Amino acid sequence: MSSIGLTLVGLALSLGASGTAAEVVAVVSAKSPVVTLSKNQVVDIFLGKASRFPDGRLAVPVDQDEGSAARDEFYATFAGKSPAQLKAHWSKIIFTGRGQPPIAVPNSIDVKKYVAANPNSMGYIDSTQLDASVRVLVTK
Amino acid sequence: MSSNLTTISVLAVALYAAGAHAEDAAAPMFSFSGFGTLGLVHSSEDKADFTGSVLKPHGAGYSRNWSAEVDSRIAAQVTANLTPQLSAVLQVISEQNADNSYRPQVEWANVKYQFTPDFSVRVGRAVQPAFLLSETRKVAYTYPWVRPPMEVYHLLPVTANDGLDMSYRLHIGEWVNTLQAQVGRKNTELINNGGIAEARNSWGISNTTEYGPLTTRIAYQKSHVTVASMNSLFNAFRQFGPQGDSIAGKYDPDAKAYTSLGIGASYEPGNWFVMGEWGGVNTHSFIGKRSAWYVSGGFRVGEFTPYVTYAQVRADNLSDPGLTVSALPPFLAGEATGLNTALNSILSTKIAQNTLTIGGRWDFNKNTALKLQFDHIRIGAGSTGALVNLQPSFQLGGKVNVFSATLDFVF
Repeated sequence: MSSIGLTLVGLALSLGASGTAAEVVAVVSAKSPVVTLSKNQVVDIFLGKASRFPDGRLAVPVDQDEGSAARDEFYATFAGKSPAQLKAHWSKIIFTGRGQPPIAVPNSIDVKKYVAANPNSMGYIDSTQLDASVRVLVTK
Repeated sequence: MSSNLTTISVLAVALYAAGAHAEDAAAPMFSFSGFGTLGLVHSSEDKADFTGSVLKPHGAGYSRNWSAEVDSRIAAQVTANLTPQLSAVLQVISEQNADNSYRPQVEWANVKYQFTPDFSVRVGRAVQPAFLLSETRKVAYTYPWVRPPMEVYHLLPVTANDGLDMSYRLHIGEWVNTLQAQVGRKNTELINNGGIAEARNSWGISNTTEYGPLTTRIAYQKSHVTVASMNSLFNAFRQFGPQGDSIAGKYDPDAKAYTSLGIGASYEPGNWFVMGEWGGVNTHSFIGKRSAWYVSGGFRVGEFTPYVTYAQVRADNLSDPGLTVSALPPFLAGEATGLNTALNSILSTKIAQNTLTIGGRWDFNKNTALKLQFDHIRIGAGSTGALVNLQPSFQLGGKVNVFSATLDFVF
């Protein structure tokens, strides 16, 4: 595991031990050429404002199900949005016929499976679930 | 007429493609969604109605102590994803109409072709993005207040457009810029047997720039508006020589150019927000020139979002001396006075007012929000404000306190 991964796992375990929510990280397939994205760029893709990575390749975001802890944590820390604010954001897009939310899978393990199988996709997982099939997106 | 054709054509395309895709169960073809509001409003002005809209004939105040007709609505939408690039949307809303019915009206009905992820064209009915919330002004769940500030949003009470619409999105680093343009036309039913307002040769452009929590928009629209029910009043003025001609020329809504400019910005980092907009319209008719602005801010504590808003709208020419009755022979004096009174009555209905709003939103449930709002409205001297259904003892100007409670939901 990369040193970044080890640090994050260590951080996550220490957070876990103190009873707070584990950190959520954005990940891409280990085979994806994408390495770095800014927080805004990650958020733009998940909010439907952008559909490509900076290098021009198609970007397909995958969410976790509504109500899951990882989803709430991701949108709170990356986008500053509560579940209601996220719902309002997508309502604006749905009710103007401009698009729909990303597909959603039940948990971090399903996100890893999806992301590993689709090199142009991006997801977020509990940092304790990191393994060699996915790579953490370094966010600047 | 054209809206029926649009609706039928959208349904026809969708059904044809549904047949063609009968074997393909991979992606969901049709998706159904909807939104609505259940609201109650109380107004302190009991000699007129507060309706929250210039297109609704009844509201709170004179007609009802507590009115559910001001903000209540329900809408249903069908989106069809026919191919990865071709989609169609049909959205129908039921709310109080100008003719007092709740007959569902088509808000959106168009077929969209997504040429690239950043460039799309729509044919049919779409809502013009004149102000920041124009396209979703009926989806109350998407904004913090009970209703968007009337002062600005009723500069253009109708933003739907039947025609062609295109959208082009550009990414520069972390900036997202969306340019939209529309051409088309629209018929709108007016209250009080005002007949139909026809907007023709309409076009507009709107540019939205986003950078993280910051959104800015600038939009310009131009149309030619005719309100046929008024033409006969002004034709009567034209019988009175050059002075009558000049009055008619100034006020008659006969294919007159109606232009509007809107500039807005919002900053929403998540735990708080601030937003403001300015709009100006120039109508070359009795509606005159108007400008309005609002500023609003709020913050979020858990599921509660209290907010405060100040909004103001100014109108020119709330009265006009009209025909010089003393210069007319006595047998025409009666008719001329009648025309002047009718003209001034129309002019006084132009909205000049300011409103201070305080309220709060509670997101108590997934998909549902409860809002309580208090509006203190000061109507400008000589104006009726945005009130309708004026009773004989109603006095222009004055203050109105409005209390609203709404339940907004999406599904």
